[in-house]
Amino acid sequence: MNTEARLQRAKEILAPFTKETLTPESNRVDIVIDAADLTQATAALKAADWGYLSAITGLDLGPEAGSLEAIYHFCDAAAVTSLRVRLPREGQPEIASVADQVPVASFYERELSEMLGVIVVGTPDPTHLFLPDDWPEGVFPNRRDFKIEDAAPVERDVPKVPEQGRVGNKFIVPIGPQHPALKEPGHFEFAVDGEIITGARMRLGYVHRGIEKATEQRNWIQNLYLLERICGICSHTHTSAYAQGAEKLAQVEVPMRALAIRELVAGLERIHSHLLWLGVVAHEAGFDTLFMYSWRDRETVMNLLEELTGNRVNYSISVLGGVKQDIGPEQSKSIHKAMDYLEERIRYYLDVVTSDAMFLQRTRGIGTMTRDEAILYGALGPTARASGLERDVRVDAPYGAYGKFPVSLITDERGDLEAKFVVRLKELLVSCFTIRTIVDNLPAGELAVRFPRKVPAGETVSRVEAPRGEAFYFIKSEGGESPTRIKIRTPSLCNWTSVINKAVGHQLADMPMMISGMDPCFSCNDRMVTVRRKDDSQTMTWAQLRAYGIEKYKSR
Amino acid sequence: METLLAITSIMFFPAGISLILGGMLYEWADRKLVARFQNRIGPRWFQPLADTIKLLSKEEIEPLGVNRALFFGLPVLALAGALTAALYVPIFGLRPAHSFSGDLIVTLYLLSLLTMCTGLAGWNSASRFSIVGATRTLTQLFAYEAPFLLALLGPAMAADSWQISRIVDYTQTHWMIVLQPVGFVIALIGLMGKLELPPFDAPEAETEIVAGALTEYSGRGLALFHIGKSVEMVVGVTLVTAFYLGGIGNPLFFLAKTLGLLLVMAFLQSVLVRLRIDQTVGMWWRAGAILALLQILALIVLK
Repeated sequence: MNTEARLQRAKEILAPFTKETLTPESNRVDIVIDAADLTQATAALKAADWGYLSAITGLDLGPEAGSLEAIYHFCDAAAVTSLRVRLPREGQPEIASVADQVPVASFYERELSEMLGVIVVGTPDPTHLFLPDDWPEGVFPNRRDFKIEDAAPVERDVPKVPEQGRVGNKFIVPIGPQHPALKEPGHFEFAVDGEIITGARMRLGYVHRGIEKATEQRNWIQNLYLLERICGICSHTHTSAYAQGAEKLAQVEVPMRALAIRELVAGLERIHSHLLWLGVVAHEAGFDTLFMYSWRDRETVMNLLEELTGNRVNYSISVLGGVKQDIGPEQSKSIHKAMDYLEERIRYYLDVVTSDAMFLQRTRGIGTMTRDEAILYGALGPTARASGLERDVRVDAPYGAYGKFPVSLITDERGDLEAKFVVRLKELLVSCFTIRTIVDNLPAGELAVRFPRKVPAGETVSRVEAPRGEAFYFIKSEGGESPTRIKIRTPSLCNWTSVINKAVGHQLADMPMMISGMDPCFSCNDRMVTVRRKDDSQTMTWAQLRAYGIEKYKSR
Repeated sequence: METLLAITSIMFFPAGISLILGGMLYEWADRKLVARFQNRIGPRWFQPLADTIKLLSKEEIEPLGVNRALFFGLPVLALAGALTAALYVPIFGLRPAHSFSGDLIVTLYLLSLLTMCTGLAGWNSASRFSIVGATRTLTQLFAYEAPFLLALLGPAMAADSWQISRIVDYTQTHWMIVLQPVGFVIALIGLMGKLELPPFDAPEAETEIVAGALTEYSGRGLALFHIGKSVEMVVGVTLVTAFYLGGIGNPLFFLAKTLGLLLVMAFLQSVLVRLRIDQTVGMWWRAGAILALLQILALIVLK
């Protein structure tokens, strides 16, 4: 079924609820519905098996317009259906929860209610997901009239973990935000009965940086560098997704050579990310030798990225309208050399994770997620593909140069941890192959074209397959020098539901591996709010920080 | 003179200071070998000593809600147990400082004292991680203890004595690794379980329960537990080498043999994945204990 047919079908399914139909992009329909019809419209899409809920965007149209919008984006291959619900800005903007039908919506709904002040009726957990516990009531950072002065912390009773961790005969084992198992700040509470887990909860948002809000104050070009810093691992994913969306809005045609170079860097980034993941999960399993070896080999790809782009982490190769650096004969030689080495190593790791009997004891049949569960929980990326769910934006909706240099889809039916290893490692072999193909057949042409300072008004959805899953960008412009709203649904947020739901019944010892198994990225998840308080003595201006740095350096 | 000798033998050589230093050297060798297997550079030779000095000079934090006497007493008891065990064992290839009929059993129980103390210390710490760690430490003790004991009983039965020095005299001429290969494997793996080395490091799996039973320990208490563990390593490696790898012989040669054993252990630590506690227990009782019993049975029948 092609994209038009899918969109046509979505229109037919949603016809009873439709108030207004817009077609902002060729692959997207935007259907305005009443708030009261939302649950039924979601049910209708679900009953017809039309796609999955990819993100919920909250928009504030401003005090003059006096309304808020909640946009529910459903994706089915390349087709995107946006259900747009208009809500009054004043009083009680209420919307019904769809989390009972789509469990992953629970996270997006919590975000919607704390960031925009939409009351989601019936959402399973209405507590803060991202904002701090001492955030004042009635202050919503994504509203247009939000002022940082309003966000002064308040005293509030926060449910704490019992001091001794004992609830009757059970223990609550807290993991994070500071814990040796978790190098990144998330908080999990596992209720354990002996070694068996009987309940699980999670809390995010310890390192909010307010990136979404910050984009509104920067111009289109500055945002490219800001968004690159969402994640230190899939930085290129974010610049690609943002650049792609901005270029679409500005109607800029990017040269094929630039798109091919972007795909090449994305392939290298995937190798870097998956090898890092392999090491982390091996360490969680107590297999430090594999950890050391895979991170050693990861250096090869890091050095290669440095050689190609000048940077090891935030490669900064994309610019709006193209790429910055070219790939010449010398670079292609080093790329081929690195691929020779990496392919051999990846084959070896594939052999280790599928044949080492003791390692298999820790991975085979652990945390098994069936295909149906993966659909229900809205899993994406390698987590979904390891359960046999064929979802990959690169294949379903080829963007950039993926039409010219396609990748093959890797899936595995088993859904356990072993399958996740196999899928990721096989994807690396595919990446190596694609990288070689691109280097050998790099299209001739310009590297970049001019990008206008102001971008015409419009809204667009940009989706990119990150190493961990799908990155979803919603970009809205009102014709100015900066975007009006950028909504980012990062690649690993959508996979938490599966982990939290699968935890119960497993052993405590399996949890670190299961959590790492989905490749959680905390910089992915925390990026929403400026936690800068007015009475915070740590706040420094740029000049102060610079002076402090120079002073510190001198007094070394 | 007699008393002076006894004091010297307990405080300085072969037990006491020299044993502690020896333990650190063994610990360094183990860490260095594992590091090289893992493609790392590894610590310098004095690192364990530096760690100990650092720990001894650090503040000791006492958590709320612990029994003070136990909290501070257990590390001392653990180290004392390990050091006392060393008196009956031919450390560094020298004759044991003390010897009597049945000292093998005493030594083995003194070695277990350290594990028991660790478990109790974890339980006493009243922290979630410590309690889960203590539970795992003690569960694991019940898994490997019996097979390990049976594996060391093999040479004892062959030598017709439960006195370590007599057994060592016998193994001098009989390489038990050839005569009782099953026993040797069980003794070696049991020793790794006793020392909570990978793959038996579930009780201190840092990715789940921080440092397990010793999470709340800092400063001196932690240092004493660490020293105790190093001493236990020396005693354990010495016992297994003396029983299975041709007795004592030349002290220099004996040292080389213990280091060879350490090399094998480091290799196993590098290539094996941590077992979950249920897998550890399952493995010991399903395979370890039964194999050890079969070997004992074979010994009885063949004798």
